[in-house]
Amino acid sequence: MMTLDKDNLGELYGRVGVGDQSMLGLMGRNQDISVGEIFMIYSEREGHERVFFFRVLGLQNYLRQVDDIGRIASTLMVEGDSYLSGIDRNKLLSIDGKMLGYAERDAGGDWVFRSPRRLPDHLAEVYRPVPGTSDDAVRDMLASQTGGEVFLGDLQVGEETLDVPVHIPAEFLPMHVGIFGATGSGKSNLMMVLIKSIIDNNMDRLSGESAGRFNVSAFCIDPHDEFAQGVDTYGIQDIVETMDAKTRQEVLGDFYYLTTHLQAAPREVRRYGKELRILWEEIKPQDLYSIMDFTGQMYAFIDMVYSRARGDWIAEILDMDDDPDGTPKGTLRAVQRRLRFVDRSPIFIRSGNSVLGDIFESMETGRILVVNTSLMSDMEQFLLTTVVTRTLSDLRKALKSSGNLGDFDTQAGMRLPSSFFKKVRERARAFYGFGGASDSASVKDPRSLPVLLVTVEEAPSILNPELMRGQSVFKDISRQGRKFNIGLLVISQQVSVLDNVILSQMNTEINLRLGNEREIKACIENASVNISGFQNEFRVMSRGEALVTASYRELPLPVRVPLFDNVFEKDKARYKKKVSGTAAEKHTL
Amino acid sequence: MLERILTKQFRDSLKATFKDIQQQQDIRDEKEFAKDEQRIKEQLLDTVDPFPQDVVFDEDFLVGAVDGSGNDGLALLDDVRVHLFSTACVILSTNTQSSEPFTPLDDTRIEECLGSSQPHLETFWYTGVKDDARRKMAEYIDYISSVSDPLEIVMPFFRDFTRGEIDSWNDLKDSKYAKYLSRLESIQNLISRVNLTNSTIHDQLRTISEYAAARKILDSSIRPKYLLLDGAMSVFIHHIRNYPSMPSGFLLREMCTRARKEGVILCAVSKTHTIPFAHRIAQMAADVFGETSKWFCQLPGSEDPGGGLHITQSRTYIPPMLAVPYLFSFSRDNRPSRIDFDRIWWLENIFVENDPIATRENEKALFRELEYMSRDARWYGYPVPLAVAHEQCKISYQDIRLAREICWDVRQEMGMDERRMEPQRTDFNL
Repeated sequence: MMTLDKDNLGELYGRVGVGDQSMLGLMGRNQDISVGEIFMIYSEREGHERVFFFRVLGLQNYLRQVDDIGRIASTLMVEGDSYLSGIDRNKLLSIDGKMLGYAERDAGGDWVFRSPRRLPDHLAEVYRPVPGTSDDAVRDMLASQTGGEVFLGDLQVGEETLDVPVHIPAEFLPMHVGIFGATGSGKSNLMMVLIKSIIDNNMDRLSGESAGRFNVSAFCIDPHDEFAQGVDTYGIQDIVETMDAKTRQEVLGDFYYLTTHLQAAPREVRRYGKELRILWEEIKPQDLYSIMDFTGQMYAFIDMVYSRARGDWIAEILDMDDDPDGTPKGTLRAVQRRLRFVDRSPIFIRSGNSVLGDIFESMETGRILVVNTSLMSDMEQFLLTTVVTRTLSDLRKALKSSGNLGDFDTQAGMRLPSSFFKKVRERARAFYGFGGASDSASVKDPRSLPVLLVTVEEAPSILNPELMRGQSVFKDISRQGRKFNIGLLVISQQVSVLDNVILSQMNTEINLRLGNEREIKACIENASVNISGFQNEFRVMSRGEALVTASYRELPLPVRVPLFDNVFEKDKARYKKKVSGTAAEKHTL
Repeated sequence: MLERILTKQFRDSLKATFKDIQQQQDIRDEKEFAKDEQRIKEQLLDTVDPFPQDVVFDEDFLVGAVDGSGNDGLALLDDVRVHLFSTACVILSTNTQSSEPFTPLDDTRIEECLGSSQPHLETFWYTGVKDDARRKMAEYIDYISSVSDPLEIVMPFFRDFTRGEIDSWNDLKDSKYAKYLSRLESIQNLISRVNLTNSTIHDQLRTISEYAAARKILDSSIRPKYLLLDGAMSVFIHHIRNYPSMPSGFLLREMCTRARKEGVILCAVSKTHTIPFAHRIAQMAADVFGETSKWFCQLPGSEDPGGGLHITQSRTYIPPMLAVPYLFSFSRDNRPSRIDFDRIWWLENIFVENDPIATRENEKALFRELEYMSRDARWYGYPVPLAVAHEQCKISYQDIRLAREICWDVRQEMGMDERRMEPQRTDFNL
């Protein structure tokens, strides 16, 4: 058994005092400790070498040999000439906190991390991580908790960070990710870092540098149009422009930016942009049911029109003057009122060229799409997200239900608007088939395809209990997305108002600073691992600090998300190299 | 019992007791104190002029302190009693030049200089067998004090007591003490008190342990300016033989001699004392100098100019033999404390014959430094070195409970009969 060099854990800070396997009290030196710091406790009980991870939740000054600190303080006040002799060595900190778990070596000598079910030895030594000293040891011990392809930030140990990058494994993205944070908590920067990480993952896969199993595609809603050009100095556009043409083509394709009015976009962005246009015929009733309330009579009316008119259902309803026979009076007008935003929208068009097919292609080839929704109404944004999500989901579902390409045609034809499927059929067959292009050719397992990540911004508006009770496409995806490798990236300022179905299906939570006590409570209750007792931490979180919890990890990870500008500056050079590998998904049209 | 304590009868009984005290003692003391009031106010009481808070001494100095603690019942094995003693030596530096007043010396350095780590623990045992206590005490004193020759500790007393008339063993042979020479040749014989109760033995050995610790400081390379002891410099004299009835008396004088030789100011401080009318002297100081004043007051003896105080005349233990006691108060929130100095040192360094002003200046300089070492907010008004020593050596109820458990453990480990340590009766506690 290898023995750990304790010097690599950091500086010896204190000793374990009282407590149990979940909460501990430490006694440490009088240092500038902050709530949220992580300490390591070295324990060797009966020859079992373990390093326990402990998170500071509360601090108290403790003076040895002083029973009544109030009396001392008042004496110092009243007797102006008083002093405290040799007090420095007696000044200690009494620290309460939570046991996060422990690392120990398995039979093969590799570090494994376990939930807190044991207690450190009596008076075990407590180490405070020191950046530059502890990084390697912590990285090794927490490898199982921090690994993955999508970089989020660095492990935070109080106000400092260690050089221990924290990732989300791409394979868990289809089990949905939540990003919760109040205004100003750093959500936009986090999204940009995530987009960059996804680009990096895909680029590394293409160059053969990554051992990751998946390309990741992301449909990223950008409500403030800040991802492309960035919040401060750099944005995704800078990554795009730094790449050489071949790498750019391989990694990003022809475009990455979608907007309502392309002419309004800056010229450099425009080159990689497309105008968002979705044909009415590509919208299904279910898309609208997912984003707004309808009465039973309206459902019946819409379903009746849809079964007859199929892709023309919206045009037909909007063109009607009177309620058809058998439809209660007023139903038509009510439905027309609800569809009016579609009629007025520049995105949803009766005829013309749609980008939905291009979106599908981008998503299936492992690309990222930044969708500027700053000029859209809420309903337009929600409908767009829903149509895209449902379309991708329907195609993957059709694939999953098929044994060969012939089956796929049948399944997809049943699920998708026929005009849309006609347009994407060939491309879809190319993506999903292998061993030939005939109808009898086998199809791929959706779980071998790129992970499709769809962001749902302002999630409470569409992922609330009322809408989720109905025929929401998100209810299906939240439950079954993992089968099709489709994940939701739910972004919300509030946790408490989200529907329980979506919350219970979410397996990764990135919890940023939250707005109030109710949200903190909801966030703690919803977390995939036990973070009870972390209330104080949430109250003192700064912008860009996050607590990452995941059902597939034992350790709640405090992470500092770096500024996008900094990570871009750091990695700028790597985008210049040419992608030469062949590990990427190759699709032949 | 509680029902008895809560009765009116008990309250009446207490009233009668306090009335007796008032009539028999207080009234007499009041009369005696009235005779001293004017003298105390005008001649003996004076203020301390404190150093400013940010004083920087030209030369910082060290202050040592020794305190001890103990328990006379660590273990009881039939009639064998095991005692536990602890002592702590601390050395603090005034450290004004670093603006960190009274920083303790590094533990390692103290251990190097004194030869043992601090605090120090010792055990002692004796049995109920006749004369065993005396023999065992002598062995312990010999061991703890490292006394190579009993005369080494005997002679300083006689030198000081006779002001140098008896300076050697030969002088002693020619003196009135000649008949006791054989009793002065061994430590065991220096224990001349007749009734040696368990408590007497414990107190004697605890005092001796503290003196032995203080001697180590005096013998070491550490040269403190002050060495503070906890308690008074009282020496109980055998009323027939006219020398100390217990070895601690001799050891104290020997320590005073060493301190004088080394230029160390030896003081014994008691926060709990029986000086009568201390509260009245404190009130007098408050009236004369103000409520917030810091003050000191000598309690003179018959040899001092003006003679002893009326109030202490019938109290033969004040002042103690060969000591000069003072009352002092450096904090308005506490009862005045007592401090004793070696009279021989005091005569050489503080007292100036026929010059009360010079004497007073010396006293004020002395108390100014003592006051400066008594400003720690934890023990404001009490010398911090002694407080630190006390914190280090004290044996709490919890400590002694644990020590007893370890006793039990050790006996089991050694395969001894643990039944001997069991309480006689556990069903009730008398």
